[in-house]
Amino acid sequence: MALGRVELEFSARVIAASAVVVVFGLVWVIPIYGLLSGSLKSLAEVQGTPVLSPPSELNFETIARVARELTGPLKNTFITVLPVAALATWLGSLAAYSIYRRMDRVSDSIMVAIAIATYIPYHAILVPLINLVKSLGLYDTLPGIALALLTYYTPMAALLMVIFMSAIPRFYIEAAMVDGAGDLRVFRRVVLPLLGPGLTSTMIFLFIMTWNNFYIPLLLSRGYETHITLKIFSYVGQSGTLYNEMFAASLLGSLPPLIVFLSLGRYFIRGLQAYGGGVKA
Amino acid sequence: MTINPKVFLVLIIPVAVFASLLYYGIFWNIYIATHDYSPLARGEEFIGAEGFRELFSSVEFREAFKRTLLWSALLVILGNLAGIILAASIFQFSSPRKRNVLTTFFLYPLSLSLVVVGIIWRWLFDQYRGVNILLDNIGLNPSWLEGGNAFWSIVLVSVWIYAGFSAMLYLASFYNVDRSLIESAMVDGAGTITILARVVIPNSIQGFILSTIFLALFAIQMFDLPYAMLYLNPFTETMVMYIFSRFTSLYLYLASAAAIVVIAVSAFIVIPYALYGIRRWILRGAR
Repeated sequence: MALGRVELEFSARVIAASAVVVVFGLVWVIPIYGLLSGSLKSLAEVQGTPVLSPPSELNFETIARVARELTGPLKNTFITVLPVAALATWLGSLAAYSIYRRMDRVSDSIMVAIAIATYIPYHAILVPLINLVKSLGLYDTLPGIALALLTYYTPMAALLMVIFMSAIPRFYIEAAMVDGAGDLRVFRRVVLPLLGPGLTSTMIFLFIMTWNNFYIPLLLSRGYETHITLKIFSYVGQSGTLYNEMFAASLLGSLPPLIVFLSLGRYFIRGLQAYGGGVKA
Repeated sequence: MTINPKVFLVLIIPVAVFASLLYYGIFWNIYIATHDYSPLARGEEFIGAEGFRELFSSVEFREAFKRTLLWSALLVILGNLAGIILAASIFQFSSPRKRNVLTTFFLYPLSLSLVVVGIIWRWLFDQYRGVNILLDNIGLNPSWLEGGNAFWSIVLVSVWIYAGFSAMLYLASFYNVDRSLIESAMVDGAGTITILARVVIPNSIQGFILSTIFLALFAIQMFDLPYAMLYLNPFTETMVMYIFSRFTSLYLYLASAAAIVVIAVSAFIVIPYALYGIRRWILRGAR
């Protein structure tokens, strides 16, 4: 009897949960659907049809035209963002190792200082950074944007790496130290091999965050060519009511992070979890 | 066997330099906010709190300040609500695969640029060509982005973006609940509501705290989304947008004073979290 009731209740719960997931899911699907269908509309069609009506035929003309215009900014974004994500992850993991190995008041304070710097909105402290970039003659250049991104995302990488590193059992390190290995050797031989997923997660998280960053390139550029988000934004003013172009630019500009998200989503989510307070799922 | 101090120093220096630059930014803002740096000024004159007085006597900033705080409150309330509903629903599926797929699905807005999200929703909110085509069937035709409505609509978009993040934090809390605890309660004949009230919710406090902290922070730094949707619209201007507009019109001392306000409001949330939360939650396993 008791078990029967439990089972009944169980299935009712799953049905209710499925209903919630479907209703919410629709709201999550509609924007992506609109983005896809809008990008596939021709110039003639976009003027008369609502955003959510499917395209009458698959027209790749808009996507092809926008793709040509986006080549430069896409390339620029790749050569800015990839080195930034890699370098920040590398420097962050070195700092994280030193913090993890020290674990005293000094490293605790550094850790807290890094966390505060990470979570205070960079939007509020960008002006002096712009002045610094300008004084180095790097305004409106890719290295300038890279420098500003590194300034903000390297401490964040250190924070994420501390979180990932804290999962490594200390006795691995102690055992290696007993065997006479030095600090750097322990890092290379013991810690790094265990850190693979943590490094990947941090790098992928930073790649997506820096790719999607808008405020930093906006304040450090004159035109719209230096970063993909600026280029996408430029279509808002340019094409007025022609949403097919805006959508095509949005779609193409989102492909790299979307592909990474779809294929390596679990690493991104682990990055998010670390960012959101180091929760372990 | 602690690390060699010299090695420690060498390894920490790059991150320390970048973090110091961020702190330098905070102090620079304090300096500029208390010194008249506007292009109209003749020199760098110490003006003390004059800049802040001017800032808070400006209707535009007061509105932006209130709007940002309201945005935080709304995002915290609605984001937590959506997050807990999503998390509780996803949690009902027993297959880990299904749970992971659903969690990933609801997180996808976070992998998109806020500019892209803004562009899509700007069109979905279009009076004649957006979702109103569907709503028309039930006799609704709201003007989403007109005047004061725009604020509420964009708040909803921000809830849409971050609900998955909140759900993820709650799910992490739920997973920490011992499964056998729930099962034994079920066998004892406890209903769903009882299980939720007695077992699941008390264990979700961590999810609630983290979710609240981050949703509030996301709202305080709101810029890209309203800017991509409606530029510098007076009905949706946030504090960061105020900083941006004062910076671009070269009223640096006002931009800096507003920046200090943003930093102070965030520090109010971040510092207790960094001092208490990180030690408790992040470094828990590290010692």
